[in-house]
Amino acid sequence: MISDRLKKIICDELYLDPETIEINDETQAPEVPGWDSLNHANIIVAIEKDFGVRFKGLEVLKCNNVGALQRLIDSKVSL
Amino acid sequence: MLGIDFSKISDILLFDPRDPLLFGSSLFFFLFVALLLIYRLFAKSNNARVSILILFSMFIYYKASGIFLLLLILNAVANFYFGKGMGNSKTQGGKRVFLLLSLVFNLGLLVYFKYTNFFIQAIIDFNFGNLELLDIIMPLGISFYTFKSLSYILDIYLEMMEPTDSFRDYFLFVTFFPNILSGPIDRAAKFLPQVKKDYFLTDKDIAMALMLIMMGLVKKIMIADYISLNFVDRVFDEPVRFTGVENLLAVYGYALQLYCDFSGYSDIAIGIALLLGFKLMENFNYPFKAKSISDFWKRWHISLSSWLLDYVFRPLQIGLRNWRKAGNIIALVITFVLVGFWHGASWAFLFWGLLHGIYMAVGLIVQGPKKKFYLKYKLNNSKILGAIQIFITFNLVAFSFIFFRANDFESAIDVVKQIIYFFKPGVFVQFVESFTPTFVLIFLGFFLHFLPSSLNDKTVTLLSKMNIFVQAIILTLIIWLVAQVQSADLQPFIYFQF
Repeated sequence: MISDRLKKIICDELYLDPETIEINDETQAPEVPGWDSLNHANIIVAIEKDFGVRFKGLEVLKCNNVGALQRLIDSKVSL
Repeated sequence: MLGIDFSKISDILLFDPRDPLLFGSSLFFFLFVALLLIYRLFAKSNNARVSILILFSMFIYYKASGIFLLLLILNAVANFYFGKGMGNSKTQGGKRVFLLLSLVFNLGLLVYFKYTNFFIQAIIDFNFGNLELLDIIMPLGISFYTFKSLSYILDIYLEMMEPTDSFRDYFLFVTFFPNILSGPIDRAAKFLPQVKKDYFLTDKDIAMALMLIMMGLVKKIMIADYISLNFVDRVFDEPVRFTGVENLLAVYGYALQLYCDFSGYSDIAIGIALLLGFKLMENFNYPFKAKSISDFWKRWHISLSSWLLDYVFRPLQIGLRNWRKAGNIIALVITFVLVGFWHGASWAFLFWGLLHGIYMAVGLIVQGPKKKFYLKYKLNNSKILGAIQIFITFNLVAFSFIFFRANDFESAIDVVKQIIYFFKPGVFVQFVESFTPTFVLIFLGFFLHFLPSSLNDKTVTLLSKMNIFVQAIILTLIIWLVAQVQSADLQPFIYFQF
């Protein structure tokens, strides 16, 4: 499950309305309007800032959908 | 008895560096049809089919590269075991060891064969030492198969796929003849599952393959070879002997030539792979329809640009993410300099890559203000804006290709100077009169390119409904037409040198 908090960060960063955007575990970056390779880093930085966590580069590269990103955040927050 | 000269046959089948088996040559088509017939006979036996493919692939590579076939085999063996070792490692450290081994092995060989003399020359030019150039011959296709193998290792490392247990399947992935010499740089994750699949072609697959092969022949032999031999080469060989108008037409002509040469090759490669039951990745998607440079790179040599995006740009960008925009810009410039350097060990390619890195960086910097401007004047969906964007992007790309094509940096500058200071628009009419076929072909090339892509799909559907004999007649007609225009021997594909 994608938390509302994660969804809000992504939508804020891409100037999207969370009400109109569907993001689930299987969603991949190119399916979200505006989430391209160039602003990918901005979204990652925004998530790190909001949750107060720090990812390793390899951990981020291994995430191939939003579900994997959520699990990565969960693993850091619960520590 | 039958009057067969066996020494001639062995000449045809043995390694000859001046005569690789080019797609488009009649001998290749003859052998490929023979392969298809045998392949279909063994359609039911996966093992027999894959073995036939591997043998044929090794023959094609041997014919073009001789003894370097051994290097290709070594590449397949080494990377298969690096992948296996990585998969068996329980710890991240262990995985990293295999990653490092594979990087050193693959990049080491690539750098040795492709870049050693460039570095030695640089050391001599900058007076850092007194060295002599080495006598190194670059194995054909090494840039392509090295990147193919590396993507397999990197995908295992990034946990995008599991290593395969089948050496046979991996060996076919590395040596597969349709894309061994010039790509597309296919990904193992997409290719390997297809090896075990049953061999079955739909009418649509056959029509699509025929369409790709026919378009590839038209692009390569009718357009690229013709305009290059009859016009583009002459201008680039001595730009100062031609007016600005002719130089500009040669620059546009070269952009079209390079596209038709390389995408024509890719079309044929994808088409013949499809007839053997394999779907390779797309390599071009109407690149001159791009509305920005970043859009262009999503449409041009897609298998290389997506490779560098996944394995160079993304890791760099994530590593530099706290630098925000500056991090993105540094990652972009490094990635594009590497795009240039991948093409060849020369300052011209480096400069060409750097130029695209700068284009991308500027695009990123003006992205915000541009969006606001479009929004303010409600330009977002305007057709005129779209046309202007396409025109500007095409000119930026064509400008960069001057450095890609020119014999040296000075003559590239000459081309630009002639266009600026010696334009002489009146010469255009003379050009059309004296180079009529060239003009018609350049016009035809761009016209076909800018037709709606749905037209292509409709033609494929139409072709798929036709009887096999009608299809054969159409294919023969296209080959006949191409042969009429063919002015000399088939020219080597530009991308073979990379």
